[in-house]
Amino acid sequence: SVAGSSSSFLSSSVCSCCFVFTRDQVLRIRASSEEQIALLKELGELEDLQIDYWLSPAQPGLPVDARVPFRSLQAVKVFLESNTIPYTITINTLVCKKPTRPIYSWMDNLVTENPDLVSKIQIGQSYEKRPLYVLKFSTGGVNRPAIWIDTGIHSREWITQATGVWTANKIVTEYGKDASLTAILDTVDIFFEIVTNPDGFAYTHSTVSNRMWRKTRSINAGSSCRGVDPNRNWDAGFGGPGSSSNPCAETYHGPSPHSESEVKSIVDFVLSHGNVKALLSIHSYSQMLLFPYGYKAEPAPDHQELNDLAREAVAALAELHGTKYTYGSTIDTIYQADGTTIDWSYDNGIKYSYTFELRDTGRYGFLLPASQIIPTAEETWLALMKIMEHVRDNPY
Amino acid sequence: MQRRSAARLGPLLLLLLLPLAWGEGPEPPRADGELQVSNRLAGQAARVALHYLNYRMGSPSALRALGQVRKATVKTIPGIGHKYYLQFITEDYKSSQNVGTCLATVLYLKRKPRPAVNINCTYTKDQKQTREDDYSFYKKMRQQTKPITGNDIPDSYGNIEPALEPAWALAVAGSSYLMWEKSTENLGYFMAQVKNVKQWITKDDSIDFDYLVVLHEIPTQEMISCHLRVIWTPGRPLKVKYFCLSENQRSESGEGSGTESGSTNGIFNEEEANF
Repeated sequence: SVAGSSSSFLSSSVCSCCFVFTRDQVLRIRASSEEQIALLKELGELEDLQIDYWLSPAQPGLPVDARVPFRSLQAVKVFLESNTIPYTITINTLVCKKPTRPIYSWMDNLVTENPDLVSKIQIGQSYEKRPLYVLKFSTGGVNRPAIWIDTGIHSREWITQATGVWTANKIVTEYGKDASLTAILDTVDIFFEIVTNPDGFAYTHSTVSNRMWRKTRSINAGSSCRGVDPNRNWDAGFGGPGSSSNPCAETYHGPSPHSESEVKSIVDFVLSHGNVKALLSIHSYSQMLLFPYGYKAEPAPDHQELNDLAREAVAALAELHGTKYTYGSTIDTIYQADGTTIDWSYDNGIKYSYTFELRDTGRYGFLLPASQIIPTAEETWLALMKIMEHVRDNPY
Repeated sequence: MQRRSAARLGPLLLLLLLPLAWGEGPEPPRADGELQVSNRLAGQAARVALHYLNYRMGSPSALRALGQVRKATVKTIPGIGHKYYLQFITEDYKSSQNVGTCLATVLYLKRKPRPAVNINCTYTKDQKQTREDDYSFYKKMRQQTKPITGNDIPDSYGNIEPALEPAWALAVAGSSYLMWEKSTENLGYFMAQVKNVKQWITKDDSIDFDYLVVLHEIPTQEMISCHLRVIWTPGRPLKVKYFCLSENQRSESGEGSGTESGSTNGIFNEEEANF
């Protein structure tokens, strides 16, 4: 199956947290002595078993994560048990490890396995010259109306990139199976940028002290502080009090609108496409579904429709795991924010412009545990479907 | 009915937000009345009330988080400040189970340093159990001969070592004091992470921890590091000392010992109509 065959790829790629869909298991092993560590190292060297250590055996007391192919499971478990090395099994959950290969290799695999549905486009380069890739989901046509989705624009919001990966997989799995999604893709295209801020994302992986990096990594002239808030850099209410003019601030808007290549690339793509009908920008945390405006209190002309659709979307989301979202305009529901993505897209004629703020409401915040990633992605999918169905059924 | 009053409040909220964006500047007149339950100021005020409650309860096993705001109104008290009247549902901080409803008032004062809170809540969790859980953590820490230490709780992937979870919860209780003190009508806080914890072994009855915590500040999005010293004996007021450093090199410090004004379970004198 598509999900099955992409899984092994997915499980060793660099989204920091990866999915294991197959009957392979990831074992969390706790060695309590140097002898046990040595045994685990030897086990890893047995080529026939094909064990892949995500957290390698290093010292007693530190967890060891081993991805074990299905056919080797029995042998490995017998080995561990007979040496009284305790382990627990993580099945079909998200397990996290240090990045080894780019997430881009997962994308390439998705394209290779689904050539009639998925293609990869490069829309530009980040400040540090990383490619900005967008996955295009399309069943044909010429310049069909399109839905844009981005995740990871704020690099510390790791639940969003993970949700993006899950969602992309979900789209390819459900096309041809789910009638509604199939009908959506038969009339509209989906453009999906999963690692919208790759420089920031790489930086959040570099050391534990950089985990909370939000912005881009551009150098600011005349300042030792780097980075611009990519969600304050858009040309909609740019530079207002809902952003900062201090390069050291987390909400620094940048020297000018679209100064950041990560932002400019999207602007250029969307404007030259000319037929984008919805723009969904995914963030965390707060459990909110927001629509314009953030830069002014005046209600958007489509406030009523956007509000009603938001209500339906969050109701659908809540049905799965009971997760409660609030919704409303950005300025009323979260705070005044100037120069944001969705205010720009709305002011450029993209009516269905929404910001998602995913789980949670502050207990873990940006450090959401892996166990919540699949439930979050599953419930978010229901809200995304509501919006995409509405876009499909209400052409303009 | 609610929608109309919200629409009326809209433009006036803008007037309010502009100079008050980051908590400074003169205050324009605010329209009094009912707020939408999704309104950010309502949620923010409810959180302030909960910071105060969590600090005053001083119980790592009984921490609460905001569930949903059920009702919110705001009133201007001329020359004094803005008073919020709130009704909200709370959840257990760890399990997210519903643990009761609260009625609270939060008064943001012009002259005093911190919001004045009165809060009264129902509590549906088994109080005997939470007392036992608190005591069992306390006892375990009292029995340590070697001080416990830890880093990055939760870690980058959201993991919390089970052995360190109560110490993390105590950090939440201690940070609640600091977050209550720092909160304004427009600036709110969440405790994002314990970067570091170190126990001090003491000869007296209390258990004693040094923390480095990181707070997430809204709406500025800044991550603020604060040193926190928490001294705790179950059933007694939490003692907290803190020292924060922000990106702008402003440093703030404070000290709490459970004697601050405000109330958590006294007779509620507010008129029903205000809610």
